[in-house]
Amino acid sequence: MTSELASIETFLATVPPLDRLEAERLTALARKMSVRYFRAGQTILEAGSHNDHLFIIRSGAVELRLAGEELTARMAQGGIFAYPSLLRGGEVNNTTVALEDTLVYMLPAAQFHSLRDGSQEVREFFAENESERLRSAVRDLSQKRSNILEETSIAGLQRHRPPVSCHPQDRVAAAAMTMSEHDVSTLVVCENDRICGILTDKDLRNRVLAAGIDPDTPVHEVMTRDPVVLPETATLSEAMTRMTAGGFRHVPVVSSDGDLRSILSATDILAFLGDSAVDTGTKISKARSREALIAAARRIPEGFARMQASGFHASHVMRFTSALGEAVHRRAAQLAEIELGPPPCSYAVVVFGSLARGEQLVGSDQDNGLILSDDVDGAGEKYFDGLGEWLSDLLHECGFVYCNGGIMAKNAAQRLTLSGWRDRFDHWIDDPDEDSILRATIFFDMRAVSGEAELARHLHKHIRRKVKTNSLFLSYLARDAQRSRIPLGIFRNLVLEKSSDGQKVFDAKGQAILPIIDIARTLALAEGSPAVSTIERLEWLAEAGHMARSDADSLRDAMLFVNELRIAHHAEQLRSGKDPDNAIAPGELSPLERDYLKDSFSVIRDALESVKRNMAGGIV
Amino acid sequence: MALDFELDGLGRGAHVLQAGWVEVSHGGIGLSTARSTDVRSLRQLDDQAVTVHGIGEQRARGGVAVRDIVDLFLREFAGKIIVAHGASVEREAISRISKAAFGIAIPVRTVCTLALERRLKPNLPGGDAYRLAATRQRYNLPPHEQHDALSDAIAAAELLLAQLSRMPPGTHLGAIETH
Repeated sequence: MTSELASIETFLATVPPLDRLEAERLTALARKMSVRYFRAGQTILEAGSHNDHLFIIRSGAVELRLAGEELTARMAQGGIFAYPSLLRGGEVNNTTVALEDTLVYMLPAAQFHSLRDGSQEVREFFAENESERLRSAVRDLSQKRSNILEETSIAGLQRHRPPVSCHPQDRVAAAAMTMSEHDVSTLVVCENDRICGILTDKDLRNRVLAAGIDPDTPVHEVMTRDPVVLPETATLSEAMTRMTAGGFRHVPVVSSDGDLRSILSATDILAFLGDSAVDTGTKISKARSREALIAAARRIPEGFARMQASGFHASHVMRFTSALGEAVHRRAAQLAEIELGPPPCSYAVVVFGSLARGEQLVGSDQDNGLILSDDVDGAGEKYFDGLGEWLSDLLHECGFVYCNGGIMAKNAAQRLTLSGWRDRFDHWIDDPDEDSILRATIFFDMRAVSGEAELARHLHKHIRRKVKTNSLFLSYLARDAQRSRIPLGIFRNLVLEKSSDGQKVFDAKGQAILPIIDIARTLALAEGSPAVSTIERLEWLAEAGHMARSDADSLRDAMLFVNELRIAHHAEQLRSGKDPDNAIAPGELSPLERDYLKDSFSVIRDALESVKRNMAGGIV
Repeated sequence: MALDFELDGLGRGAHVLQAGWVEVSHGGIGLSTARSTDVRSLRQLDDQAVTVHGIGEQRARGGVAVRDIVDLFLREFAGKIIVAHGASVEREAISRISKAAFGIAIPVRTVCTLALERRLKPNLPGGDAYRLAATRQRYNLPPHEQHDALSDAIAAAELLLAQLSRMPPGTHLGAIETH
């Protein structure tokens, strides 16, 4: 006698997470189920009641309302519901009503629990909250996408050239000469064959020259002590993670005995991956003319698409794309100086928004300005008038198109002295109104990419101090963050919203990423954090105890997950010759991606709610 | 008990090739009760029907003997009402094989979802509108795999649940029994 439920099993095999189960397990599971039918409008589960089944929608659609009131989700064929109640011991929170005539398969609680016990993947899918599911999603994506990075050890891409080193007692000038002679940007400082420090170009600039330190100073006084080192058995992925987390581009590689083997640079990794990014980066920084820079910059989108195809994480793609963007801005400013002559006073080119945060993808417009030294005179202003125009025009040609809002150095309003910028920020902060906040938030993500970085640092410090004590301004920021309508999820092929019945496409930037950026910015400014990138802000907030670690991690995961989707979407558009945008059609997403997107929305909504509760109170 | 027979032909003397059944009540369908079995037939198979049902002669010969099926019915179906779409086919087949086996026709009570549908929606144009697949579609039930006895039995059971949802709560199966 046979007892085949083949068609039911076939259906179950398309439903995540059951799709991960072996066929035999699925067969056994199908036989434990019962089938029920609910007429449109009929209540399937009532909030407050007891439930002992997992529900899988075979046909039709249902609506979940928290405590019978607030719409929390809609689901159609393949949707699974009621498991949170099983995890709580049966207590039902959401009233579930059939929106259409609905056929459901029901799995008894006991089987549901043994299913969870038997598989980690299933357990993670049916995690108690969105955050846990999202965490496993981000991990899954990383695992799926970065095999090359996980399987290759850095030993495979070390240079043959022995690393250049010096002694901690050597003079800084001598160390600089050694670096120059060997044409390296990083020098390892060794004592008795052990690494005790590292000295980079940047250190020479920031800690020696800019700080006015005597070149005769011994190296150990300015070096970075006890730098992070990597064993040569580390994988590319580990190396990239350490570099990204630490924000450095060079890491000494040591043998198992602790002997220095080489210096690994971010460039080495990119070169290994055969990506054009490194090549593009070199071409950008060495461009001798407008035309050369334009040609190099226009290769960024191609490099972006390749990074995506090679399986780079969202965080790396953002970071590398931003690095290239920054290089274009810096080189454009240098070319402008070559063209217009040396600047009459010190100044800095600052960028705002995504480039400042190191979160740029492709297709962004330019958001920049100049901070001029306070001693600039009339002739000087004229010079910067020309430089600003030259810069904006060139950047436009390079693919960083003119900013609709006019936030670019060619506009006089974006070329202020340090005091002028201070006044402008003071005005925003002291006298906030909804309209000015809307346009001003982008300015609070700021970074110098060329010229005198100290000017930007001064300004940033000033802003940080001022904002921290201004709760009215912060409440405006908190309220501004609430502007976006965060969807509930994807229902059928519509983006489900609370207020309207749904829309055809999901604005991945406006409806998910911007709110996360806003949340991180608002909280970071409130606590006086110096961090600018969203992930660093979240990390800072968690470290400093201003945000629960789990909340910070969840927001980070949501951001990475949605950016993975955005990057894939952009890369696909670039490959088919379209201009990248952020409008993702639900049809582009897999069932699992839809589920994780729903979790991301939930995490974002919760965080927005908490910001609103804690900070927007002053004016609401 | 929702029951479906796949037969080797359309005529009155057609033999049962496959049987599938599952229990259904107001509370739903319990898939653990789902069974299907091939039925051994010694008769030369009608080529056309065999193609449709995908049950070859060899497989049919390897199935359970008709006599065993009757025993099974007596055990499993005792006291239960048989649900089928076009239940007269099942009713007649049961009476035929029980007569052949014991000399008497086992009395069966049936609920015919087709007859029920004609009662619920009397004026649909064309006979095709009352076929199982078309009827299921009207209740937003998913497409099902046809010409598989168990799949058809489950399909009829699901349809019965859908039809019951259109009737006063607590409608007794006896009240919709087909005579």
